[in-house]
Amino acid sequence: MPEQWIYWFEELGSEHNDLVGKKCANLGELTRLGLRVPPGFAVSVDGYEKFMAETGAGDEIRRYVQSKRDLLKHVDQQVEAGREIRGIIESKNMPSEMQEEIHRRYEILCERAGRPDVPVAVRSSGAVSMPGQMETFLNVKGNDDVTEKMIQVWGSAFTTRAIAFRVEKGMEMEKAPIGVAVLKMVNAKCAGVVLTVLPTTGDMTKIIVEGNWGLGESVVSGEMTPDQFIVDKECGEFECTVSTKKKMVCQHTFGTRVVQVPKDMQCRPCLESEELQEIARIAKQAESHFKLPQDMEWVIDEDLGFPENVLWVQARPAKYSKKENEAEYLAELMSRIFKM
Amino acid sequence: MKVYDVVPGLEFDPEHDLAQSPAWFLDGTHSVPPWTPMFGWFWINFCRHGMQYGAQQLSLPTVKGWDWRFMNGGGYLTLLLVKSEEEKQRREARFKKAILPFIQDYDGLWNGFVKEILGQYEGLKSLDLDKATNYELLQNFEDTINTCRRMWEIHMYMMYGTYTAYILFENMCRELAGIDDTSPLFHSVVSGFDNKVFQVDRRLWEFSKRAEADGLSNVFTKNEAPEIRGRLEESDKGKAFMKDFIAFMNEDGWRMQRMSEINLPTWVEDPTPALGMVKHFTNKGGSFNLDGERQKLSRNREAAEKEILGKVPVQQRGWFEQLMRLAQKSGIFSEEHDHYLDLYTHAMIRRSALGVGRRFVQAGSLDDHEDIFFLIPDEIRRAGIAPDQFDLRYIVERRKADWHEWQKKPNPPAILREGFDLDQAMGVLVKSNDPIALKVVVGAMPQVRPELKADLYGTCGSPGVAEGIARVILNEDELHLVQENDILVAATTSPSWTPVFSMIKGVVVDRGASLSHAAIVGREYGIPVVMNVFEGTAKVKSGQRIKIDANMGTVYILDK
Repeated sequence: MPEQWIYWFEELGSEHNDLVGKKCANLGELTRLGLRVPPGFAVSVDGYEKFMAETGAGDEIRRYVQSKRDLLKHVDQQVEAGREIRGIIESKNMPSEMQEEIHRRYEILCERAGRPDVPVAVRSSGAVSMPGQMETFLNVKGNDDVTEKMIQVWGSAFTTRAIAFRVEKGMEMEKAPIGVAVLKMVNAKCAGVVLTVLPTTGDMTKIIVEGNWGLGESVVSGEMTPDQFIVDKECGEFECTVSTKKKMVCQHTFGTRVVQVPKDMQCRPCLESEELQEIARIAKQAESHFKLPQDMEWVIDEDLGFPENVLWVQARPAKYSKKENEAEYLAELMSRIFKM
Repeated sequence: MKVYDVVPGLEFDPEHDLAQSPAWFLDGTHSVPPWTPMFGWFWINFCRHGMQYGAQQLSLPTVKGWDWRFMNGGGYLTLLLVKSEEEKQRREARFKKAILPFIQDYDGLWNGFVKEILGQYEGLKSLDLDKATNYELLQNFEDTINTCRRMWEIHMYMMYGTYTAYILFENMCRELAGIDDTSPLFHSVVSGFDNKVFQVDRRLWEFSKRAEADGLSNVFTKNEAPEIRGRLEESDKGKAFMKDFIAFMNEDGWRMQRMSEINLPTWVEDPTPALGMVKHFTNKGGSFNLDGERQKLSRNREAAEKEILGKVPVQQRGWFEQLMRLAQKSGIFSEEHDHYLDLYTHAMIRRSALGVGRRFVQAGSLDDHEDIFFLIPDEIRRAGIAPDQFDLRYIVERRKADWHEWQKKPNPPAILREGFDLDQAMGVLVKSNDPIALKVVVGAMPQVRPELKADLYGTCGSPGVAEGIARVILNEDELHLVQENDILVAATTSPSWTPVFSMIKGVVVDRGASLSHAAIVGREYGIPVVMNVFEGTAKVKSGQRIKIDANMGTVYILDK
């Protein structure tokens, strides 16, 4: 087992997917590209295993699972097992050496933010897609809370669905290729997505930006009609369609909630033109780096000045209309209407 | 000598046909009032063939088309369901390939068929029926039979494919954008398109403008439709007008007064209905209201498209937009296929059959050329080449007597096996997932909301609210009774009803789904349509003041 199990995002890149999980590796790749991401650090899969070994939780889980064996094929047993295993993990304290290292990193984050107990998000970062591994804690403040939530993220790898998945795939029960990302909360003025290709036509000469006030969830989920900006890659000219944005997603003491957008903001575009141009510029840069059209998530930080306020949380290859595939996909969907 | 069945092999036989399927539905849209024997023969044979052909070509996973039977002038239908799961899967795998041409090049597909069938009509029309030999005449009739058969193949193949896409679009709108097919936003997205039927209406309007410019307006306003032609022939300007009008009829007048029957004149033979439309536009004055309406609808549509696309996650928008464009073809197809396929082919059948009829009268085998509609093709073949050798009057006499009987009492709406009720039968229709059954025949069931205190509850075919005088119209013959600003109340409507949509404020129909004629045309004219009220023609009386709110699906009778 390598010595190091904790990394700044700046130390990571896409090749570290198996080490720290997709989310952390992606954030690392973005910083490597010179994109601003919320500052933070990653605890690797090794960190999880170190915790499991040093606290004895790994042995306890193994014993428990062996005692159950075949019974785990039943859903009620999976529910029970999930509760039991999470209980084992959450009953352990972070080993003191690990605790010190995590605290040291968190203190550095506080220093960089210029305030004590800076609020952070503690997110799971799976190396493989596994359903039910989506535990995220927002607005986490202070050393003790950070370590506690980290342990809970590890525990969350044992939801009923995740256990059923392991049983089905014949995976080892106590293993969980899961990393954890600790990153500074962004006080989001607005957020959204940018695609460096028009998904409807496959037009690569344009960039499409969509955004709404508050956090990006409302745009990603497609529940609300966001503002839309189409930017010409060549000349930078853009046209914008401003929607009446009645609702937005905001941080709350625990998690997020949907709130009303104040009247005077509903019909105002959520992006300033310089912010839009900056988003487009960086998206273009990412596209030429990855040599593929990109689908990226951005956030504008309320507390920072331009251009430091343009932050990135995700970049992946964009899906867009390639006529042949689209037609086959539609044919597939059409065949399903005969099954209802 | 035995007189054959009207549709040999496909006459309704209660014992065996109810053993085959527990429920047979009357096609009320097309076979009320009852068909003449010849038309029934054509419809039962080839509509049936076309549906099975379409379902087979597309390899529809759950249904092999419909079976049809003839009974007392009525068409009765039932579904041919795919029986085993294993066969469904096999068909599904093939379906995914068979549907691709619709997705990849819809316009190319449809325009190709239109060209093909128009070519066949040109061939049929090229024969001068009155100068042809007996053999050529018979051959023309045989070619007409084949044209009708081919027409139904194209018709049903296109209709199954087109409506499948439409249903998927409805489902996806519900899933991704949270709107269903009764929502006004949905209707805005699928309306505002030009099509051939509207282009014909526009030409008629242009003739009203020409009448005005030529000083002929009075001829139209002062005379009833049947007298207009004679009055026009009295002046040079009128003669020139009529000459151009007949030329227009020869081009676009190949349509029937009643869509699914051949015993009424086509517009080419008797332009009275078309001249009546010109009269209507003359009375109304002003601009062609569809133009303004269309522009408004296109603008609304573009806004609605943006709104719906905005609700779909950006990553899914590619295929969704492609699907939307495809679904938008459904309304165009719905109107255009009637023009190019059903109406035109039926006009061709009438033309060819009357040619034979006239020859048979000359030869002494019939008394009246229209009696030909009481014969079936085998009987025509019998006398085709040497008509002077045969007397067909006794067949006509007997069939005509039967036909008069059929007109006296309505055919039952469904024939059910003992112990099987209508609800169960409807359930089978829905379960088939047959796109045509779902979108044209069955439709969404209305929600009865007592708190709205309405007299009738239906579904929204086209959004909007209207108040006016109710005009209950049971068949095409009564269409001239419709007055400006009426609200039309009907069992159902078909393309020959389209022209009155330009003068009415709203429509209530007993039965209909989102792709039935009333809904599509109502959306294009921007008037409210309430559908599936079931008892509209029974409860509402002509002359009563009614209020309809299509958005809520309600009808209020204001003076009871």
